[in-house]
Amino acid sequence: MRNASDTAPTTDTGAPTVLRVIRGIQILAVVGAVVGVLVFPLTGPGPFIMSVGVVILSYACMATGWNFVGGFTGYISLGHAAFTGLGGYAVGLLILRAEVSPWLALVLAAVIVAVLSIPIGFASLRVRGASFVIMSLALVLIMLLVFQSWSDVTGGSNGMRVPRPFGPEVLRPEQHERFYYLHVALLVIMLLAWWAIDRSRFGAGLKAIREDEDKAQSLGIPTFNYKLAVYVISAFFTAMAGGLYALWFGFLDPIFQFSILTGSYMVLMSLLGGIRSLFGPALGAAIVGYAIEFFKAQYGDTQFHLVALGLLLGLVVLFMPEGILPSLNRLLDRLRPSATSIREESAEDLATKSAVLVGDKEGTP
Amino acid sequence: MDLFIQSLVLGILLGGLYALLAAGLTLYFGVMRVVMIAHSAFLILAAYLAWWFTTNTGLDPLLSLVVTVPLFFVVGVFVQRVLIARLKPATLTMMSVLLTFAIALTIEGLLGFVFSGTQRRIQLPYSGASFEVFGARIAVVKLIAFALAAVALAALYFVLKATRFGQSLRATIQNSEAAALVGIDTKKVAGYGFGIGLATAAVGGTALALDATIYPSLHWHWIGPLMAIIVVGGLGSVPGAAAAAMVLGVSQSLLQIPMGTTWAQTIFYIVLFATLVFRPHGFFGGRLAQRF
Repeated sequence: MRNASDTAPTTDTGAPTVLRVIRGIQILAVVGAVVGVLVFPLTGPGPFIMSVGVVILSYACMATGWNFVGGFTGYISLGHAAFTGLGGYAVGLLILRAEVSPWLALVLAAVIVAVLSIPIGFASLRVRGASFVIMSLALVLIMLLVFQSWSDVTGGSNGMRVPRPFGPEVLRPEQHERFYYLHVALLVIMLLAWWAIDRSRFGAGLKAIREDEDKAQSLGIPTFNYKLAVYVISAFFTAMAGGLYALWFGFLDPIFQFSILTGSYMVLMSLLGGIRSLFGPALGAAIVGYAIEFFKAQYGDTQFHLVALGLLLGLVVLFMPEGILPSLNRLLDRLRPSATSIREESAEDLATKSAVLVGDKEGTP
Repeated sequence: MDLFIQSLVLGILLGGLYALLAAGLTLYFGVMRVVMIAHSAFLILAAYLAWWFTTNTGLDPLLSLVVTVPLFFVVGVFVQRVLIARLKPATLTMMSVLLTFAIALTIEGLLGFVFSGTQRRIQLPYSGASFEVFGARIAVVKLIAFALAAVALAALYFVLKATRFGQSLRATIQNSEAAALVGIDTKKVAGYGFGIGLATAAVGGTALALDATIYPSLHWHWIGPLMAIIVVGGLGSVPGAAAAAMVLGVSQSLLQIPMGTTWAQTIFYIVLFATLVFRPHGFFGGRLAQRF
């Protein structure tokens, strides 16, 4: 057995203690973050700070939704704003035209967008790299075009007013607080889903695609089906994030709903935090989201935030393509007694593992 | 019928500009596997420089090319050597998308900062002039823009076909490992290739400035159609890009009659979508185009 021989060289003396300490630091950080997020509204921030909190959580939901495709498969989609925008508009249209209740509309909208994403994924996932990115970019541009021009249905450039789900009698600060917790709930659901996929055979297959798609395919992983499945899941969650945001904000304008900037925020946040880690996108969203709100408040409507965003994205791509969390983990790794005690899964391991599992299922040795 | 001819002629004129810009875009991909999202941002930058030049000196914007073309070439070589060359080969295509995207955002932001978001337009003595051929009315500025694009495209063709450097460039596009093996300095080729690509953006931007209202975020309007063109033409293929540019430019123009200006733009995305479903490597590109 390969695994046995690989884990054998672990130096027993002292190693478990150090590992436990590292694990402890990690758990402590997560628990601290969770408590911080939950307690934040109770510290009595004003309505403005509270609304910034909702915006940042919304970014965290979008980035985590994006990371189902980006993190697992390595396919960089610049056009996920198409899904948040579609989610938002679907919620608005369902409430206004079909008179569906807001919460049912939220779920229905995500399902509708997920269904729509099947043909989109079918076309764009057949190609890799450059063509895929171009397709994703085109997707958001065409949505902008359609929603701006199709004014009979969407209200065109005048936008669309979405009724508030809690009714007009609920005051703004309370409104913010309720949506804050709703976003937290959505984020938790997404993180659980990501975590579950990460640990599953499906996830191993996806990561094998990320490392070497040809090899993954040759080992019998149904790469196209896997990619399409995770693309649809990603579209579902991203649309739901867009829909929830629409319910909170109450107004949709195609320029902002189908904005290339929104899509690039998702990429920047995920990359900065670390696309290979569960909490990476959310951490990135906290940092970048705060920076965006800060620049907007500080420099108003000058184009300065674009320069800042551009420079930040450039620096991340050039110097920290792995992201913050993986870098921190590597720092912690140094404390570890020997590198062999915990084995990193390499591309081939992932591919073999997943192929073996696929093979097992089909009853072949 | 007149309307048809009019649209056809306008479509050809527009297609020429698309062809020039798409050729530059596909050059980056062909030589370096780089998807250059910032190409159209540089296009708008050149348009602004032409506008600034004319507004401040009163001279013809075409004269600004004397400065912008060499300047953009140097900037291109610089961007390739200093930024793009830093990226790891394994993830080059994906990361180049993000890096050039970042460059595009920075340029857009700086343009907004320096020139403000106000829409600008060059006023020329011949701005309103037009003449009639076969029942089609052609604005002089549109014809000059087309002529400029045609000259630049011809120059590009000459460089690629007739010079030794062009030979190395084409060899690198076809197979960069083999090119390196026979002694071609592919790093140098990559830098110069990038410079030439940006030089085409300088010409395109000046041509654009003759006849369009410009504003900083205009580049998003251009990047979609241009990207669609290079995928449809087959990534990395210069003739493919030029052909696709002409076909799509003319289709867009003709579709404006029944569909109106906005909806006619969807043709780019419809054709892109169809191409990816039925012919993922485009119409001229090799199988290679799918991989990166």
